[in-house]
Amino acid sequence: MNLYAGQVLRVDLSKGELSKEPLREEWLKDYWGCWGLAVKYFCELVPPTTAPFSPANALVIMTGPLAGTLAPTSSRFCLVSKSAHTGTIFESNMGGAFGPELKFAGYDGIIITGRADSLVYIRIKDGEVGLEEASAMTGQGIFETEALLKEALSPEAKVLAIGPAGENMITFACVGSEAYRQMGRGGAGAIFGSKNLKGIVCRGTGGVRVADLEAFRRKEAHWTQTSLLTEDNLWAKSDGTSILVDVTNEMGLHPTRNFSLGVNEDHAALGPEAVRQAKLADRACASCPLGCGKFTHINGAEVEGPEYETLSLTGSNCQMNQLEQVIRFNRLCDDLGLDTISTGNIVALAMDLTESGRHDFNLRFGQPEDYLAVVTEIATLSTARGKDLALGTKKLAEKYDAQDLSTEIKGSEFPAYDPRGDYGMGLAYATSERGACHLRAFTIFTSDHFNIEALAQDVVNGQNLNAIKWSMCFCDFWGTVNTVIMADLLTAGLGRPVAPEELNRAGERIWNLARLYNLKAGFTAADDRLPRKIMEQKLGNGPNEGRVFRKEDFERMLQIYYRLRGWDAKGAPTKGKLAELGLQPL
Amino acid sequence: MVKHLLAFPDLCTGCNRCAYVCSAVKEGLFIPLRARVHVQNFPLHGYSVPCICFQCPKPECLEACPEKAIYKNDEEIVLVDKEKCNGCGECVPACPYGMIDLGPDNLAYKCDYCGGEPACVQECAPGAIVFIEPEREQKKIKALQMKHRVASGTPEEKRRARAEVFLKEARPARAASA
Repeated sequence: MNLYAGQVLRVDLSKGELSKEPLREEWLKDYWGCWGLAVKYFCELVPPTTAPFSPANALVIMTGPLAGTLAPTSSRFCLVSKSAHTGTIFESNMGGAFGPELKFAGYDGIIITGRADSLVYIRIKDGEVGLEEASAMTGQGIFETEALLKEALSPEAKVLAIGPAGENMITFACVGSEAYRQMGRGGAGAIFGSKNLKGIVCRGTGGVRVADLEAFRRKEAHWTQTSLLTEDNLWAKSDGTSILVDVTNEMGLHPTRNFSLGVNEDHAALGPEAVRQAKLADRACASCPLGCGKFTHINGAEVEGPEYETLSLTGSNCQMNQLEQVIRFNRLCDDLGLDTISTGNIVALAMDLTESGRHDFNLRFGQPEDYLAVVTEIATLSTARGKDLALGTKKLAEKYDAQDLSTEIKGSEFPAYDPRGDYGMGLAYATSERGACHLRAFTIFTSDHFNIEALAQDVVNGQNLNAIKWSMCFCDFWGTVNTVIMADLLTAGLGRPVAPEELNRAGERIWNLARLYNLKAGFTAADDRLPRKIMEQKLGNGPNEGRVFRKEDFERMLQIYYRLRGWDAKGAPTKGKLAELGLQPL
Repeated sequence: MVKHLLAFPDLCTGCNRCAYVCSAVKEGLFIPLRARVHVQNFPLHGYSVPCICFQCPKPECLEACPEKAIYKNDEEIVLVDKEKCNGCGECVPACPYGMIDLGPDNLAYKCDYCGGEPACVQECAPGAIVFIEPEREQKKIKALQMKHRVASGTPEEKRRARAEVFLKEARPARAASA
């Protein structure tokens, strides 16, 4: 088969059985791969009211058609499941090297159901697959687990692993790979933990075929030169994501002191210059010429990163203006297996509760000792404070009557762009299928941050484009990729003409299918909302000082968005829209 | 003067584009295991080592071949004559760098500089593999890299073991657990 491996690995952890089944080729023209295909498999397999920690929940891991080829940034792949953190369907994607390795082993994806009786890992060596005992790795961090799994199979093998946070089913626990790469958001690690799955190790010695190699190479080189390696995207190579520290401070929407301020006066301590000073090396995911990863080292603390979200949410948002401490916090999260976006929000909330006298967690803005200690306490549930913070922002705020201070939507903690400084981000967070997320639509590079009509359209367009983009899968940082480029590469890869219009429609279809699932899971328009803080508390400083995102403005924007999407006033796709996209109600 | 391939591990990001393109050019599909250039990644330490064929001045592979199927051309590139190769495999353990192997056709394969325009170099965005007429300093770098030799193991094991030596030099503090 061209591009695709043509095979999926099925793992039933309850029965301890593995089997190989042919890829559902009839779904490819409508869902393509990675996110789209994973959503389709998931919707067919898991009823929307399934409890996330039930054995009936599935983990659908899926690569895209371009994984394992020279198409730049194509090594990204995803996991789709039902989140225990939000109760929604969610997708979580990752770079690194596992995706191509799985393809080379002969599988487009892995579908995992059930629950093992004791801790296990999945072992894949090309056609030889099996479940192995993992009890000796109980409680091990991700770094050590990866080392042990590679030792067991091959130094060239690639690993997905959880740490103690996932084993303890902390709902925002992540899955790690290649040390510093994660499926960060939505709590994939917790689902692994609920299934007693410590990890997956894979070695693949096969390859990926394309229909017309000469044309594929020519087109790939052309798009890499004329689209990827251009000024719009080269920030990733020169600075990495830390550049956004400067950008968002300038815009005045940089999360500071638990989202009470929009500018961190000390942001230079966490910005691109500070990262450059600490940098030892540039790092790249498989297939990527950009190499956005910055491997940093200060006083014995090192990490690949910190990325923008971590610098702002565990840095500025906690008023921790010391890069060394952020590196330490980041490394702890990566090893123990906690999402830094969620953890940064939660720690900042706890600092706010402490300093406002509402509940003393002994966590203070800018105080490093407890800031670092609490990460382990959360992951291992070793203290009362750790157990509280392990609840996540939504439940923590409910417990301590702090919903005026918390920043989450559908339970997912806020990424690092304050909606009071860009209404598009507010709508993007509120309408993301997995709760507050910046990887569905991203509007901050707009000319008018408060034009409700224009931004509503931008959010629709962004979500549709990203839905097909993450189905190829390409990286967010190829900011200028579009469906013309995708269609061109797929045409040479598959040996059949692919039109951009098919991909555009597929993006919209994938988005609508995820929406149908959430509606059946019990979500309504009322859940597409903003937190009180954003609607009522004025931003405390900077270019957006005094701003809120008023409820009336948001509601108006939401209705415009629903209309643009062809959804009714309750946020449900109309019959006409479903027919147009070839979707059946679930 | 003759051009050489030179590898600079400190610049390597671990992207593997070199191995992807090499395998495509030589094997007709993307199969990095069968590339003629390899990258050893140590993600925990933020370090990678590109493994290239050195086109040795006194090639052990050439000397090990009982069929005289391995020879040096005028540009000092060490090549395998597929007509003469009988798949005996003696060259494979002879190479101290793990850079020659037998393919599924049971013939030896190795880097041939793509006849003068190495594809890997064209794909290397960080410039960790270059193809140049080396200056004295660069010849020294190559000579130092060639000093790390491994006596036994499969080609994959040899490449790994060599890369671990480079890792220890580059990341002394943490390289205890490679």
